[in-house]
Amino acid sequence: MNTEALKELIYKMADDLLILGHRNSEWTGMGPLLEEDIAFSSMAQDKVGQSWQLYKILHTLGENDPDTVAFMRNADQFHNAQLCELPNGEYDFSLIRHFLFDTAELLKYQMLANSSYTDLANLAKKVKGEAKYHSMHAKIWIKQLGSATPESIERLQQSLDVALPYALGMFEKSPYEKEIIDEGLFGGEEVLMEAWKAEVEKIISDTKLILPDWSTIAPVYGGRKGVHTKHLQPLLDEMSEVFKVDPTADW
Amino acid sequence: MYGGGNVFEAMKATALADEDPKKLAEFEARIDRGEKIEPTDWMPQLYRKQLIRMIEQHAHSEIIGALPEGTWITRAPGFKRKLALMAKVQDEVGHAQLLYAAAETLGKPREQMIDDLISGKSKYSNIFNYPAFTWADSCFISWLVDAGAIVNQLANSKGSYGPYCRALERICAEESFHLKYGHHCVIHLATGTKKQREMMQAAVNRWWAPMMHFFGPSDKISVHSEILMKWKVKMASNDECRQQFLDMYVPKIWELGLTIPDDKLRKNTETGLWEYTEPDWDEFKRVINGDGPCNKERLAVRRIAEERGKWVREALLAPKAKYVTPLA
Amino acid sequence: MLQSLDPRVNRLGLPNEFDTPMPSKEALDQFETYEAFVQVKEGKPFEHVGIVHAPNEEMAFLFAKEQYSRRGMFCNSLCVVKTENIKVSPYSENDIDIYDSFSGKYSGSTSESFEVFHLTKRGKQHKYEGNVLAKDYDDAILAAKESFPRDKAIMNVWIVKSEDIYVSDEEDRDIWDTLKEKKYRDAIDYKASDKIKAFKEEQA
Repeated sequence: MNTEALKELIYKMADDLLILGHRNSEWTGMGPLLEEDIAFSSMAQDKVGQSWQLYKILHTLGENDPDTVAFMRNADQFHNAQLCELPNGEYDFSLIRHFLFDTAELLKYQMLANSSYTDLANLAKKVKGEAKYHSMHAKIWIKQLGSATPESIERLQQSLDVALPYALGMFEKSPYEKEIIDEGLFGGEEVLMEAWKAEVEKIISDTKLILPDWSTIAPVYGGRKGVHTKHLQPLLDEMSEVFKVDPTADW
Repeated sequence: MYGGGNVFEAMKATALADEDPKKLAEFEARIDRGEKIEPTDWMPQLYRKQLIRMIEQHAHSEIIGALPEGTWITRAPGFKRKLALMAKVQDEVGHAQLLYAAAETLGKPREQMIDDLISGKSKYSNIFNYPAFTWADSCFISWLVDAGAIVNQLANSKGSYGPYCRALERICAEESFHLKYGHHCVIHLATGTKKQREMMQAAVNRWWAPMMHFFGPSDKISVHSEILMKWKVKMASNDECRQQFLDMYVPKIWELGLTIPDDKLRKNTETGLWEYTEPDWDEFKRVINGDGPCNKERLAVRRIAEERGKWVREALLAPKAKYVTPLA
Repeated sequence: MLQSLDPRVNRLGLPNEFDTPMPSKEALDQFETYEAFVQVKEGKPFEHVGIVHAPNEEMAFLFAKEQYSRRGMFCNSLCVVKTENIKVSPYSENDIDIYDSFSGKYSGSTSESFEVFHLTKRGKQHKYEGNVLAKDYDDAILAAKESFPRDKAIMNVWIVKSEDIYVSDEEDRDIWDTLKEKKYRDAIDYKASDKIKAFKEEQA
């Protein structure tokens, strides 16, 4: 087994989930409706919780302990897609990002349930329910707001247009793509992206939103290799502010 | 989380004059038998009014209470703390939802309650008008403010109004996690490095006075509430709750080597009661009436959250929708 | 701009003062009311847990799931019903069976399906009793009176048309299967008496 390839695969997932879970948690207490506030927070917790489990797997592969890995790295050591680190904006953007990300996440976990790496396959099976619920939540919201008032449709459309290039950036290929596929660790970004596109098309077609032709969207790559927007480092500084007061202390 | 610093209206002597004496007697007999009052039962106007006021204040305290702790939600140190604080603040929002629903059964829609919160017409627990300067402040809140709230909520959960009691039962079950989590955080700081201990002590120093205010004005100067006690709206006096809190938690604070900034604080072994410096009730009144360090910010955040969510709510509202009061 | 200790609040860019008071909310700004019922375990009856406000039943379901079953181990299934679609009987007094106040004869019609919920004790919550077929709500309560044997008095009855109930799909039951590593939400996960003990010994 190619451990470097495996670690890269897991880091990308873990960092995605941590950063997006963190972003989503910023909404707690400020959502558009009490009930949705609660629902959105649960999904943020699920994501951070899943990332924790993934960092634990990395720890078994020789990486540092989860807290150190999550709270002590700098932006250029993170492998999350840039989509995850963008500021929350208003609810339209947060929802669109949630929809684009979680549609991919559910498919990814479904693929990983057959991974040749047992720890990952087991985790994928365990979180299937959570991923399914997140995708269900996203679908219901997008279908409704995407067909409601002129304002809601316009807001979602604008956010969709902004988010799509970053969303395609999620599928940036790994330098180990071939090994990953050949060893049966994961079916690969190409397969995932095609399945994701089909699902996104299906859901958007039930709304009044317009999905541009995929060929006209230039993916924003870089996140997987540690290249990030200006938003990630401040997020990390904020996240680790207390932890870094004394990283060796027991908090 | 919530304290007993309820703002009850002074009652007029004529408040019950218009009520049907026979119905009133039946209502009181039901309460005396220990039965719950349900939304469709006959109840005196005064009972309804004071309950709405109390439950609504409680609900506002939960949603506003999510803000001082939320101050640290993006900065909690380590996975376990990060997840726990997210879950805890989420619970506070959940509690607000449950409590608004209980108040709604008495006939005031949630829209009106939120309006009254933002306009300043109705109040929330005074303690949330103070800022959470450091991580240790959030730990103090999670442990001790929640502990104070539990004292009050456990008493209220034995009250007479069915929907409020049921909401409180759910809430108290969740508060047990909050309390343990908060205590765990404080223990780690108080027994930790020098810096951590200093942070924790500074937080105790900042929060002690608001904590003493939390249970509301001394019984000596409170509005008379005999009838509310009789109707099991108010279940314990402010001083009783404060005493219970001191009795349960001062020893736990002291055992962590923390000091409490009140040199008069001691338990009188003869009376069994705690003695303390009388809190500054003028400050309490000033803050609850809007002049605290964070009143403006708390309400502004709530208002912006409502305003930014408006397009979402407008988009989803079905044209033929109609409002129906929750059943139970 | 208002300066806060909360970085999230600073990102909201709050004004120091608002020029005008917030306009009052329109009626239904917080949406319609749905009653939620939870089944804690396979084979147990659904029990009323409370309400959510939501714009439609799909969302009411999402919201109720998170409000009433986010500690997922206590939920097997969940359903929501719009409050206006619940027909409520009067409350009975003094251990009198509320069904006694309904006279008349069940029509025997099977044209519509209804679900029946019972409240057996003041202060508790309604529990699912069973299904009846009848021609309308009034007929359904008579059908229920005949159908359900009772060893104690029923205080209050809710009747709902079966079609008005929105329940989780059998195949979606796994949405309650969450990671077991959710102990951070349980009081039991926060033991620290060893730390206190060690601290005291060190101080002594």
